[in-house]
Amino acid sequence: MDFFLSLVIAGACVGSVYALVAVGLNLTFWTTKTLNFGQGAVMMLCAISTALLTAQGISNGVGVIAGVAIVALVGVIVERIAVRPALKTAGSMGWVIATLGFGILLQGITSKFFGSQAIPFPEVLFTVQDVIDIGGQNISLQYVSIFVVSILIIVVLEGLTRYTVLGTAIRGTAQDMELAIVQGLPVNLIVSGSFVLSSILAGIAGILTAQISGTVDPAFGFELVLMGFVAAVLGGMGSSAGALIGGIIVGIIGKLVGGYISTAAEHGIAFALLIAMLALRPEGFFGRAEVSKA
Amino acid sequence: MISAKSYSSLTLIAAALLLASPVASAQQTIKLGMTTALTGPFNEFGEGNRRGVMLAIDEWNKKGGINGRKIELAEAMDDQLVPDKAVQNMRRILDNKDIVAIIAPAGSGPSLATMDMLEADGRPTCNPLAQSPSVIYPKGKENPPRKNVVSMAITNEAEATRLGQILGKQYKNIGVIHESTAYGVTGAELVKKSIAVTNPAAKVQIESYNQRSQDMTSQVARLQRSQVDAILVVGLGADFAVIRKNMSRANVKVPLFGSTGAVTAPYLEGAGDLAIGTRSVSPDAFGKRPLSAYAQNFVDQYRAAHGTDRWYGSDAANPQISMAAIVGNAYDCAVVLLDAIRRAGSTEPAAVIAALNQTKGLAGIAVPSITLTAQIHEAFKPEDLGLFEINKSAAGALYLKPVVE
Repeated sequence: MDFFLSLVIAGACVGSVYALVAVGLNLTFWTTKTLNFGQGAVMMLCAISTALLTAQGISNGVGVIAGVAIVALVGVIVERIAVRPALKTAGSMGWVIATLGFGILLQGITSKFFGSQAIPFPEVLFTVQDVIDIGGQNISLQYVSIFVVSILIIVVLEGLTRYTVLGTAIRGTAQDMELAIVQGLPVNLIVSGSFVLSSILAGIAGILTAQISGTVDPAFGFELVLMGFVAAVLGGMGSSAGALIGGIIVGIIGKLVGGYISTAAEHGIAFALLIAMLALRPEGFFGRAEVSKA
Repeated sequence: MISAKSYSSLTLIAAALLLASPVASAQQTIKLGMTTALTGPFNEFGEGNRRGVMLAIDEWNKKGGINGRKIELAEAMDDQLVPDKAVQNMRRILDNKDIVAIIAPAGSGPSLATMDMLEADGRPTCNPLAQSPSVIYPKGKENPPRKNVVSMAITNEAEATRLGQILGKQYKNIGVIHESTAYGVTGAELVKKSIAVTNPAAKVQIESYNQRSQDMTSQVARLQRSQVDAILVVGLGADFAVIRKNMSRANVKVPLFGSTGAVTAPYLEGAGDLAIGTRSVSPDAFGKRPLSAYAQNFVDQYRAAHGTDRWYGSDAANPQISMAAIVGNAYDCAVVLLDAIRRAGSTEPAAVIAALNQTKGLAGIAVPSITLTAQIHEAFKPEDLGLFEINKSAAGALYLKPVVE
């Protein structure tokens, strides 16, 4: 039972970070029908900025805020230079390549100026030795805090999009951008805002993950964005609840497969789930099938 | 109009200038080439290798080079430890016919990817770091090695034999976590064999992970469930730090061992004080104090050139042992190749390879006495490795301390 629980807890924790990434991907999908495949580099930049700032003696809190602020700015830049021009061309190849290229550029710049070695990441939320006893089972407070923070952010974000004027504007833009413009909504600002918010979520996901691994380097985040994408597709592209459940499912199944079957299969199982979902229910658990009118 | 006399004078001046041009003098230098991980997440190995090679070249040049010819690292290309990039780089290096000797890439993956082309080319090559046995003995140790490739690396076999002897002697139920690369897979298999030889009754459970995994709960939980009494990690430093942190979160307190690739600066930086008590095998000679005069000179030269950096460590009087396996091995590689060229009196591959095969008792950094023959192309032996444990100095620095077995 301890074995099963430890796998489920670790899976849920890691999965909640995947969910956070998936929600970030959903945000830009709502407003522009694009995904920022450079999200991995955004996570990396936030985590590395935080690590470098705290290494200079700045407090963890200020380091985290500064790291998040930096990637918020990156969100504006990626929308302006990688996504907006690419949307003027037909098809999705433009923005896929542009966002991916932007991520690679960010990685390169980071390597050039800060080196490519793994940098120790500070213990922002508790230490590895901090544990809580639940039913005789020692549970790491780092895992618990990562899970709680991720869920809290997703719930608050869902509340904002459902029950505030800003959320209504975002949903309006998502449903019909042209009508939103006619109605006088500041669509460009909303689109830009969705990229900022998406980058902030990616940045927080980066910080939470670096907390588990203990180090961060310029190649950090690539696998996370893939897992976030799997979680988003599994839950249903555009659905926050779906992203949350999809992320946790991917995390838990990955750990259970690693624990009970083979650790070598732990990562591959996420992609097996992705293929199965695309074949059997392409709209995901909570997504709606797209209807095309002739 | 130019007169015939002026024309002749101009021709003579042009010829003299051509002879004195840098192109002509550059052809006189003895050129080495290398592709390695100069950037990227594993540049601790590649950049460390380049520094070792440069240190050796600078020293030989200060002594006048070889028969009056200066030595030059003509190509130092970056492959980031990616096999495809290493192959592209090696093709370019081999296209340069002026390069007379080659330093192999800093890892088993890129080394194995380039070895066949190097063997086909035939130029003398030295492997500073790749541990996989196939790098030198593609058809197994019972068959001859690649004719033109020698190795200064801590071989998987030497490391696994020593680790297997130590683990098998002390523990009955051993867990091994390895990365899913050629280095990790071969290393784990060899350790298992060595444990079986030392202690046939010992149980060995093997788990794997992909490089750069952010969480290793499954691997640690499986070993915890099997109640292993020691864990060995065959991998690289940053991943080892993740495993150590996972062990702490899961309250796994069994003795922890790491391969030489794992107990490096990224592990110490990533795991911090959790690294204390971790054991590893490392070049025995470099862990002894005082160092030999030869090793001390190497250390002093390095410190003069680069200071107390991440390869050297923060303690000026006490360089970290991982320096021997990364910078020292590459230094030894360059010295072995240059020494063979000197003894051969030629840069012709066949003559240099014949001289390499007669290397006997040459002083080295990680291997105190380097001997190679036509059959033995690996300098490292299991007895060159000693057992070390990570300790914390009074100044707060983490360092490897020799352990009396």
